[in-house]
Amino acid sequence: MSVWECGLLVLIGLGGGLAVGSGLVAFIAVLDIIPRLTQLTNAHRHIRAFEWALVMGALFFTLIDFFHLGAHWPNVVTAVYGLFAGIFVGTLAAGLTEVLNVFPILAKRLSMDGSLLFLLMAVVFGKVTGSLLQWLLHL
Amino acid sequence: MKDALFLRLRKRLAVKPEAMIALGDICQLFWDGEREEALKRMPIYQVKPTDGNLIVIDIMQVIQRVRSVYPEVELEIQGSPQIIVEVLNPRKKANPVLVALVWVLLFIGSGLAIMNFHTDVSMREVHERIFYLITGERSEQPLWLQIPYSIGIGMGMILFFNHIFQKKINEEPSPLEVELFMYQQSLDQYYIQNENKENQRTKL
Repeated sequence: MSVWECGLLVLIGLGGGLAVGSGLVAFIAVLDIIPRLTQLTNAHRHIRAFEWALVMGALFFTLIDFFHLGAHWPNVVTAVYGLFAGIFVGTLAAGLTEVLNVFPILAKRLSMDGSLLFLLMAVVFGKVTGSLLQWLLHL
Repeated sequence: MKDALFLRLRKRLAVKPEAMIALGDICQLFWDGEREEALKRMPIYQVKPTDGNLIVIDIMQVIQRVRSVYPEVELEIQGSPQIIVEVLNPRKKANPVLVALVWVLLFIGSGLAIMNFHTDVSMREVHERIFYLITGERSEQPLWLQIPYSIGIGMGMILFFNHIFQKKINEEPSPLEVELFMYQQSLDQYYIQNENKENQRTKL
């Protein structure tokens, strides 16, 4: 590989990474997940730390994925990882505006103000059931 | 200046059908500490069955009424220029069957949506990959990872909405409550623009 080819590859890699990285941050920012989590934990002073957690996480998992840095830990460790991953995806799914926008309209149109929480639980249980079914039945 | 009557319109009022709306219902009043009591009962608007369930009362209507009785009074007007009156028709109770149907709809729909999402982002391959990276074993069905993951989705959503089945984690409103508020506010703004005949005029 010539120097030019190497240079081009580095440029493409850097550019692609830049685009994907900023896209990821923009996506998470749009869903207001971090403000929401800081609000819940009263951790407004540590918001910088959360930003870094996001960046480090993306970097860390990219590295172990690309360089095949595997470990030989017991299965239980994956359960801990799975729980955290699930909670994150849960906040992601809840933050999507489609979900948030449906409820006010449902409440008004069908005069269901009283049973909103009940309907919210339908969405939550639906997600859990859908996900479990998919994995257990190997769909 | 010394005897100005201070008026401050409320934002919203809910009344029964065919109620008589008095001045005290739609605004807070202060005059000299005594005369407001009588003024509070001054009728402003009689709700008619033809009014529908929303009425916008403009501050100008209130001024006209007050001035017709007390021509000399000096008015100090505070707050918003109109109030939305909601006529509570014998409350349509949400039909339990309908609620159940919507529940099932949302349940199935959100389950489908999460499965679509997983397929879309090849979640299974990612799970297999992560399982391999952590344990060093290959597994077609890494349930050790996937079952806690699925439960986590539910926990994350509850966390986001700030509800653990009724109990609130803290005082701040949840995103859903904020969203409901925003929707109501947009509706109110629409009513103020469109239900208030004084706001629009076409001069031909």
